[in-house]
Amino acid sequence: MLKSFFHMDRAEALALLFLVAFSALSFLPAWRSQKIAGMAVFGWLMAALMVLSPALALFVFRGRGKR
Amino acid sequence: MLVERVLVLLYFAVCIGIGIAASRRVRGSGDEYWVAGRRVGTWVNAMAIMATLASGGSIIGVMGLAYSQGIPATLALFAGAVVGFPLASLLVARELRNFGRYTITDFLAFRYPSSIVRTLVPILIVTAFTIYIVAQLKAAGITAETLLGIPFEHALTLATLVFVIYVSFGGMVAVTWTDVFQGILMLLVVLGTGLWFLWEVGTPLELMRRATSVAPELGQVEHRPVASYLGYFAIWATAIPVIPHIVMRVFTARDGHGARLSLNLAMLAYSALILAAVFLIVPVGKLDFPDLADADQVFLKVMESRFPAAVRGMAVAAVLAAVMSTTDALLLACSSSISHDLLGNILREKASQRTIDAVRVGTAWVIGLLALYWAYSPPELISQFYTAGVGLLSGSLFVPVIAGLWWKKANRTGGVLALITGALAYVLVHFQILPFGLAPILVSLAASALAMAAGGLLGPPESREMIEAIEKLHAP
Repeated sequence: MLKSFFHMDRAEALALLFLVAFSALSFLPAWRSQKIAGMAVFGWLMAALMVLSPALALFVFRGRGKR
Repeated sequence: MLVERVLVLLYFAVCIGIGIAASRRVRGSGDEYWVAGRRVGTWVNAMAIMATLASGGSIIGVMGLAYSQGIPATLALFAGAVVGFPLASLLVARELRNFGRYTITDFLAFRYPSSIVRTLVPILIVTAFTIYIVAQLKAAGITAETLLGIPFEHALTLATLVFVIYVSFGGMVAVTWTDVFQGILMLLVVLGTGLWFLWEVGTPLELMRRATSVAPELGQVEHRPVASYLGYFAIWATAIPVIPHIVMRVFTARDGHGARLSLNLAMLAYSALILAAVFLIVPVGKLDFPDLADADQVFLKVMESRFPAAVRGMAVAAVLAAVMSTTDALLLACSSSISHDLLGNILREKASQRTIDAVRVGTAWVIGLLALYWAYSPPELISQFYTAGVGLLSGSLFVPVIAGLWWKKANRTGGVLALITGALAYVLVHFQILPFGLAPILVSLAASALAMAAGGLLGPPESREMIEAIEKLHAP
């Protein structure tokens, strides 16, 4: 099965999986009614996703240009 | 309003100046005109990408939406685009930069050689982006009319002429440098305003507590159906890796690594802009003006009540910069779809360099003026149409591009089927000809993926030469 796909670096594949999983889990109904500082946890998760997703990608790509 | 008008005119003059300076560099070279010579540095590209994504909606719209619909739902809409950039950097940036051409159509027509692909993709792009440009022009006209007190038509015409001049003559070089200038202006105004409020109040949590104690709806989301914004999240998350005005910026990078870094650095800046707007400026607006009839006025009201004329003038210029930095990239992408993707082969065979230059400039003017004409009396639901237009592009292009780069069994049959099925499914579900009860983008992506799988598994296998060519694109 995997032979049908072009190779992806392990760290990059894990980052991709994390992004998709974090996005999907953020939309679970449980986060919609619980609040922190007056705002639904869902909102905080979206805010975290906006910062974490590019930061994670930059972390994965660190040092790659020098190879 | 004199100070505000002078500052805006000064801003327009800088944009035209950049366009004139760039026109000398790009004349006679397709590489310079379409992709700025492929030597835009990481930081410059990051700022240009940030400005390209941040349209009028990212300043006026995001604050109006947070004020009226609450912060969580607003962040769900904007987080989709932000997530799209890391996805783009992981899935397409290095590969498309290594491919080394000008447009997304170039890649698709290479991967799935077919006249349907060569024709349908530019038509989809021009259709979706013309609607997008009209929506942005409408935002520019309304903003200038409200803030500068000049008639809608005059404001619209002036703003359009300015960006058509610098795009048509200066190409990607002018778009890059005006975007950098516009991006810095946006960040200065929004982050500066946010930090000022932070200094006054203390912490964002304290500001949120105060605002939600007076207006609890600002932090609520449970009364809204999840489907209402999951669709928007999915549209933007899947559009970014394939949408032409962003992909063109990948082609401008020095190398694949630079493209990947610039996409993510851009999103850190963009997230800072959006988070400062919703967590620092909107709560102040809600506390100061709790009952605004038009929520989109919240930023302008805050600026009017708390800052002097010079800062207000910068704020107007920042809003116009947000609109123009997106519209210029859309216009260039649209122009490339016609003069490079559709007419390119004929021009390269039969036309002189002078004629090719004239067609590039002329195409930008024709599209710009048509969009202007339409924007004089835009349909009321134009803002919804442009998101649908982006959804159409995403639904039709995402699967062919991603499968073309990563799935060895992707072939011409699958690519063409996925493209057509994705576009058709989106249109049928969006206009409720096929009522599915799901967001059109989700149906469209699923249908496109099924068509690709069917074509790839049942159609003729891809040639060894093509597999080797794609393998090379994945090289570090």
